[in-house]
Amino acid sequence: MPHNPDVGVSGGVVDLRPTTGSGARSDNEAYELARSGQVLAMRALDLGEKGASARLVGEESAAERFFQDAVAVALQALHEPSARPLDLQLRAAQWALACGDAVTARHLLAERSVEAGEGMAESWAQISDTDAWLDAWLIATVRRSPPDELALNALVRRYWKPLFSRCRMLTSNRESADDLAQDTWCRVLRGRDRLKPGGNFRAYLLMIATNLWRDSKRSDLRAGSLADGRVSSLDREITLGDGPAVTLAEILPDLTQLEAAERASLKHDLDQALERLETLWRDVLIARFLDGESCAEIGHRYGRTEQTASGWVRRALSEMKCCMEDLRRNAH
Amino acid sequence: MRTEAEIMKTEPTIEQLLRWRAAHAEAEAPPAPRAALLLELARPWWQRCPEKFAVLVAGFDEIQARFGHAMETDAGRGGSFPVPAVISRTNVETSLLADILFLHFRGRTLRLRFQLQPMPELPEPNLDVTFVATDSPRAMFSAPASLSPGGDYRLEIELSIEVAQAWAHLRVTDRMPFRFVLRPADEA
Repeated sequence: MPHNPDVGVSGGVVDLRPTTGSGARSDNEAYELARSGQVLAMRALDLGEKGASARLVGEESAAERFFQDAVAVALQALHEPSARPLDLQLRAAQWALACGDAVTARHLLAERSVEAGEGMAESWAQISDTDAWLDAWLIATVRRSPPDELALNALVRRYWKPLFSRCRMLTSNRESADDLAQDTWCRVLRGRDRLKPGGNFRAYLLMIATNLWRDSKRSDLRAGSLADGRVSSLDREITLGDGPAVTLAEILPDLTQLEAAERASLKHDLDQALERLETLWRDVLIARFLDGESCAEIGHRYGRTEQTASGWVRRALSEMKCCMEDLRRNAH
Repeated sequence: MRTEAEIMKTEPTIEQLLRWRAAHAEAEAPPAPRAALLLELARPWWQRCPEKFAVLVAGFDEIQARFGHAMETDAGRGGSFPVPAVISRTNVETSLLADILFLHFRGRTLRLRFQLQPMPELPEPNLDVTFVATDSPRAMFSAPASLSPGGDYRLEIELSIEVAQAWAHLRVTDRMPFRFVLRPADEA
């Protein structure tokens, strides 16, 4: 690796001047010692950057190896009696978390030197507080066997509300939503070695929940008349006229001006309307408007064209609107 | 009477309603479960119920005794070697065979189709398939399988690196290095 001991490392707090050592050592020996420490530090920084780059492009195995090597080399550098970047200890802790090694990260945190803590208090505080860890750190530590329980607790807490919300929208029922959310986490944990620390974990979690819900609905379809949910056939012809614009004029209040009772009533009606919708329409509405999937993506998922999916979205909107109008009229 | 512009400004669309409901559902979320509980629930069933697993694995001996001849002669006619299988329902275990119809690897992903012999009168639409090693009573992994309209079960699973490497050259006509414990998905 090309190395110039007089050149600092970009982004780091670096002092690469050779130490002169004690009087017993010659200047040359001291310089060599310092140089070996600096070489190691530079090597660790290089490996850390490679790890970050690999994670950025989704090469998780390579990223993990680079981060592990970066930690190993950094630990070696930290034991050298030579000058090194002041933030090397902090970076080593961050790399350790990036490859899921919470034990080493916490050890580095406990052993951090006062000198290394200067100006980096915020970064060390992030490492000391599991709830403040980056998603990638939490996921990397949960991937390990056995997983780090503190990290898992933090990850579950971070995404529990959006997950429960999605499950509530899918199942229209609080108890079922709780079960589905818990099943989702169990599914994620059973395949945790396949989690990608650099991926979009929230989207992944919601996708698992939606897939589990769809699977349960497919079982309902096979169970026929015994099933408790209504499931539409993908091949059923959909007839739509020009259709009304999908606003709910005259039947719904302004969402920002609702009193508590109105809010409760509207929530109830929305749950009822979702419950009445056939599985396909509910899935399509949630995919399109909560997940932001395009019609092309929805169609692709079902093996249908974008045009077909677009028709489904319009039909789903129309069905939902009818249900809401019906419920609101009865309510008044 | 509101003007059209006022209505457009204040009347929510279905999208806004869904987002509004989702936001409120977040606020209604119960406390998050503890990691320890989730880890316990996520443990494979054979670790949570080792006694049950031992009973089911003992059922493979009965299959060997009942179907041993059929297992060899089927393969001798050029077919695949049937895989011993035990279906475990609540308090009822049934021994039978599974014919491997299709086996394909793509990277670490295994795609498998199998048919039960004899086919149960009321086949389960979804099964949890536990792969048990043949050289020891050791569960390897489990995967969900769905019943196809043709009456065969299909599953797809990403294998661990070790298993994928060990099975990379496996062909559908080979003697399979696994046995099945099958559990209805809704009881799994």
